[in-house]
Amino acid sequence: MVDIMGFIDYVTPLAPHLILIIAALVAPAIGMKSGKATEVFMIIAGVFAMIVTGYLMWTGYVGEFEGLYQFNTFTGLMSLLFLSVFILVAMMSSAEGRKHHGEYFALLAVSTVGMMLVCAAEDMISLFVGLELANITAFALVAFKKNDPRSSEAAVKFLITSGLSTALFLYGMSLVYGFTGSMSINEIIYHMAVTDPSVSYMVAIVVLIAGFAFKISVIPFHAWVPDVYEGAPTPVSTFLAIGSKKMGFVVFFKLFLLLFIAVHFLSQIDDPTAAMRIHELQWVFGMLAAGTMIVGNVVAISQTSIKRMLAYSTIAQSGYLMIVLCVGTEYAMATGLFYMIVHVFMKGGAFIVVAALAARGLGENISDYKGLSKRAPLVAFAMLLFMFALAGIPPLAGFTAKFFLFSSAVTPDGTWIWLVAVAVINSAISLYYYAKVVKTMYVDKGTTSERIRISGSFKLAIAICAIGTIIIGLYPGPVLEICEAAANAYIGGFKEWLFDFHSELFPPIP
Amino acid sequence: MIGSISFMEFAWLIPFVPLLAFVIVGFFGTKFKGGGGLFAVSCALFAFAMSGLVAYEFFTGSGVPYSPDPIQWLAIGEYTLNFGIYIDGLTCVMLLFSSSISLLIFIYSIGYMSGEGKGKRRYYAEISLFLGGMLGLILSSNYLEMFIFWEIMGVCSYLLIGFWSFKHPDGDEASAAAASAAKKAFLVTRLGDVCFMAGLFVLLWSFKSLDFGVLFDPAEIAGVDGGMILLGILLLFGGVIGKSAQFPLQDWLPDAMAGPTTVSALIHAATMVKAGVYLVARSYPLFVQNADAMLLIAVIGGVTAFIAATMALNNMNIKRVLAYSTISQLGYMIMALGVGGYIIATEMAHGDVSSDGYTAGVFHMMNHAFFKALLFMGAGSVIHAVGTEDMRRMGGLSRKMKITSFTMLIGCLSIAGFPLFSGFWSKDLILEAVMEPSSHSIIFVLLFVLALITAFMTAFYMFRLWFMTFKGRTGDASAHCHGESPKSMTVPLVILSLFAAFSGFFIFLGLNDVITFSVIGGEFFVGGHGHSAAYIMDHIMTNVWTYVSIAISLAGIVLAYMMYARRSIDPAMFNADGKSRIYRFLTARYYFPQLYDQISLKLGYSVAKGVEYVDENLIDGTVNGLSNSVIGTSGSMRKLHSGYVRDYASFMVIGVITIFVVLYILVTSGGV
Repeated sequence: MVDIMGFIDYVTPLAPHLILIIAALVAPAIGMKSGKATEVFMIIAGVFAMIVTGYLMWTGYVGEFEGLYQFNTFTGLMSLLFLSVFILVAMMSSAEGRKHHGEYFALLAVSTVGMMLVCAAEDMISLFVGLELANITAFALVAFKKNDPRSSEAAVKFLITSGLSTALFLYGMSLVYGFTGSMSINEIIYHMAVTDPSVSYMVAIVVLIAGFAFKISVIPFHAWVPDVYEGAPTPVSTFLAIGSKKMGFVVFFKLFLLLFIAVHFLSQIDDPTAAMRIHELQWVFGMLAAGTMIVGNVVAISQTSIKRMLAYSTIAQSGYLMIVLCVGTEYAMATGLFYMIVHVFMKGGAFIVVAALAARGLGENISDYKGLSKRAPLVAFAMLLFMFALAGIPPLAGFTAKFFLFSSAVTPDGTWIWLVAVAVINSAISLYYYAKVVKTMYVDKGTTSERIRISGSFKLAIAICAIGTIIIGLYPGPVLEICEAAANAYIGGFKEWLFDFHSELFPPIP
Repeated sequence: MIGSISFMEFAWLIPFVPLLAFVIVGFFGTKFKGGGGLFAVSCALFAFAMSGLVAYEFFTGSGVPYSPDPIQWLAIGEYTLNFGIYIDGLTCVMLLFSSSISLLIFIYSIGYMSGEGKGKRRYYAEISLFLGGMLGLILSSNYLEMFIFWEIMGVCSYLLIGFWSFKHPDGDEASAAAASAAKKAFLVTRLGDVCFMAGLFVLLWSFKSLDFGVLFDPAEIAGVDGGMILLGILLLFGGVIGKSAQFPLQDWLPDAMAGPTTVSALIHAATMVKAGVYLVARSYPLFVQNADAMLLIAVIGGVTAFIAATMALNNMNIKRVLAYSTISQLGYMIMALGVGGYIIATEMAHGDVSSDGYTAGVFHMMNHAFFKALLFMGAGSVIHAVGTEDMRRMGGLSRKMKITSFTMLIGCLSIAGFPLFSGFWSKDLILEAVMEPSSHSIIFVLLFVLALITAFMTAFYMFRLWFMTFKGRTGDASAHCHGESPKSMTVPLVILSLFAAFSGFFIFLGLNDVITFSVIGGEFFVGGHGHSAAYIMDHIMTNVWTYVSIAISLAGIVLAYMMYARRSIDPAMFNADGKSRIYRFLTARYYFPQLYDQISLKLGYSVAKGVEYVDENLIDGTVNGLSNSVIGTSGSMRKLHSGYVRDYASFMVIGVITIFVVLYILVTSGGV
């Protein structure tokens, strides 16, 4: 007799992923008539997966799949984040999804599943599988406007940079395997935490950092970002900016944040000198963070294309998020997660506005937005909200997120005060180019006053982002609580495992 | 308290209702008749009435600051962030004058903005948000809350100053000016806001909280390193310099005149710039921890007062003269607060913490609110009638606009410090306060001299404004004037002129006791010595400096009369027909605008360009070259065609090696 309940229990940790994969397989197979139908079908699948994830989180479910993937509050929260990215991007894809809509949405869904798998991975191999699943589908998506040379060009650039990043990652992984003899992320971190930093150890770490620095667009590995974002279809740029990049951060959290926490934890229970070993690495992250913020914000000032401007602003936002890695505390991780969630709404919203206007024939230069407040008052107002949120003007969510993130770096020993200062100054610089967009929309006179009406699904997506930006800003409590719970579950679980593992290797002398 | 109802429990409604008006007018304004103007006015009326009730309850109560347990907005990590209200004498005074003046400005707007058409909805929504922001700031019980409202006002001023960017009554050039002025105001004040925000983090780190209840507690202050407090207050004061247009960030305020005159009145009299002074007054328990910082604040205030007054001397634009006078008067307030704080800081060890500086600064802030609102609205009435802001084209208007000219005269007498008018009392108190610590340092004597010269210049340029506008020959623009402005504009003028004339007497009616600062449970107490009216009167009237300041302001008025009304002294005598070096220096505003442009535009932009060049050519170029060589479609390339795969690979290797070397050096050198 087939054990149905047993099977369900067996796959529950991957339930949200499975829902999306099934939808991705079904959509092109049954070949729906219109792009609209596929879009609605995929959105329903996404919402269903969100409901399942939410339900699992609500019941406090924790489960494992073959020691490869895990479901806990953290993976749940990240899955929700990626699923909402998926839904937002699906909503804005009406133009891209017109031809070959089955394939387009399937690729989008599979890429999302890849990101979710990365979050759930407990093992280097499963992490790698998720990563490549997300990447390879993304190449196809970037190249989806087949007749547009810019799109193909962007895809090639993306392919090569991602290829390099993957190669570096694989190399680092093999080195790490060489001196830890394990593929389990937790065990690798344990071994790295208790090993004295030899040269090969540092090479492994640097190569791993470089591999993912491409993904999260840290300088000097950021050069591909503006070109790819500009060339790719706008929904795909959005997907990369608010989705893919977060996957890179999750990997950083999984490898390095946990490493810092492990060293700190071990130094508390056993070896008092261990904490010194990672101090230097944190400084390297601090320098990368500061450099990324500065380059992103300063170069954004002189951009004329709105997509390039948003791309550089995304680079700068990566710099802010890097603060989490420097500080390396549970609370910093919670504020980082909060920032990621807010970023989905504000940056996503800005990209959706660009896509919606582009779908109505408006150019993608900032100067094309002249007099927009007369032509499309509500869209312009939403864009104003997103710009001010990104610049960190209270009471919008961007301010709250930045404030939390920066305050997490205000630690009692004051190590990272300088980084907070850099971040605050940078967020002031950023206002210049965000305000420029607002000025162009509200102050400059347009050449025409013809009204622009955008389609329904765009309106809905913009409304969701705008409401999210306002509500989370005014009432961040519940979202922050979830983030804290996720960080707590993730790091707490890791610490428990670490304690057991360590005591097993070095049993306390009776 | 009346019966069992406590109005203070509902004090949160004071900012909430105008904020609600913003939402309602903003979204449904077109459904209202007149763009929601009446609705906005009634919300402002509510805020005023509620402020009155709260103030009444506070003043008849025990005098202990009212600060209920705040609502916990969030607990993040080890910090708790709250939303609460804090009511003491200072709060009540601020609430009363802010809400009453805003109410009058709102009423006045109905007449002034009647020709705006569809733009009215946006205007009324934004001024409601502005008012809500200011009232929220006044009631805040912690610095984060203050900062949020502070920033809301910043955004509002951006939107309001740029209000006429579409169609300025003075034409296209003025529209462009409005746009760039808005941006300048936003960016310059933002420079201050960065300091404010950095100050928040410093205080949060030092005190583990941002609540006034914690930060003002002497026991807590004693436990924090003095250097951190100094850093914190200097950063907070950086915010004040931006917001209250103090030297060297004073230059945005004159440009902000590009907005509608009502907005100028709102910014200058009741909200925005007063927020900075309020921040200093509110943070007194922290600020007085360092005497040197207070001295610096006093000096910045004095210098601002002086240079702004000189810039007003030869300006021909009626609104700009008023703008400079605002900066100058704000300088007076900051100087008074700084001097008062200095005395407290130096004498705190002896247990005697009292100073007139605090009372004088807040008192002048209140009086200034009344007469500056009056002056701006009067100027608005004139501009409404003649359609220009150039004083050379006015003149002889007193015959046609009796109410406006008379009320403006009261405003000018008041700001000039003419005896018995409101400005006289507070300015005199400030001068006295500056002299008080003259035995400590020669700097205070210099400040006193600066203040006296400023008083002379103030009297001169204000009456120059009045005579040029209302007396003398009828200018070409005055010829078009069809008489007095509508009732909705003149009635607020008359009401305000009553206040501008008599608000100084509040000091005898117990205001001295009201402008107090006491901390719940703490020992800290400023102001309010309980002096009787007779004592104060005696104090002022027997002081020789009082008569000197009266003489000086009279001299200024007389000089203006000779030059611009009787024309017995030719202004060209002083400026060599506008060719003298000083004259040009003043017209160019000490070359501050150029300095800003050099720094912000030239330097900032060229840095941005430079970084972009490196980014585009070195980094982008390699990526482009790479894809170009792979895809082989050079036609699609827009950028520089340099670099091959090997360049790109080597660049990546350089990145990896750099990180490795840095890490290696750090590790081997034994850490940071």
